[in-house]
Amino acid sequence: MSHFFLMVLYSLVVSLFFTLLWRRERKEQVRLFLQLFLGMVGGGLLVAWLMYPFPQGPPAPLP
Amino acid sequence: MAQPDEAAPQQTQAVTAAVAAPAGVPVGNPYLAMILAWLVPGLGHIYLRRIGRGLVFLLLALVSLWVGCALQGNLYRPLPGQPLTLLATGGAMGMGLPYFVLRYGADYAGDIVGAGYEYGTAFLLTAGLMNWLLVLDAWDISRGKKE
Repeated sequence: MSHFFLMVLYSLVVSLFFTLLWRRERKEQVRLFLQLFLGMVGGGLLVAWLMYPFPQGPPAPLP
Repeated sequence: MAQPDEAAPQQTQAVTAAVAAPAGVPVGNPYLAMILAWLVPGLGHIYLRRIGRGLVFLLLALVSLWVGCALQGNLYRPLPGQPLTLLATGGAMGMGLPYFVLRYGADYAGDIVGAGYEYGTAFLLTAGLMNWLLVLDAWDISRGKKE
């Protein structure tokens, strides 16, 4: 499983959860779900893009 | 200061909104609802006759648990000299029965050198924290504070 897939899956689970927890009407549910899901995935991609210029550094030592 | 003519429509809107909002009706035993909600994710909602929602919550919790375990994430437990693990353990224990089944029944501990360890830990901890919110939600629904 790739990092991206896991990020999308995590966003999906959390967005669905809070949508069902906080909203009752279908139209509001769709709106909140899209806000949360796209916000999390888009935010993750934005942070990844901002971190792109940073050097990777040596691999972390195994404990 | 608002004139009476200007304030009247606002008051009317407020009254209309209050009437239109569905009044929550107390249902079931709130303590039993909380216990069931904690034991099995979604069961509190099913007990409170929110069956569809309860089943979706159960599914989401199971997906989160399954992915967390498949990635060999950390199932938090208290460690001596690390007080923050107490907090994390409290969060993870929110998943109720599955936490104890994993910890004591399956002797699950995760794999710190596994490639998905950090991701798995996030999924497992999220499952617990989500269920704590479901416990509070079940309480609110049962007391009629929430539809």
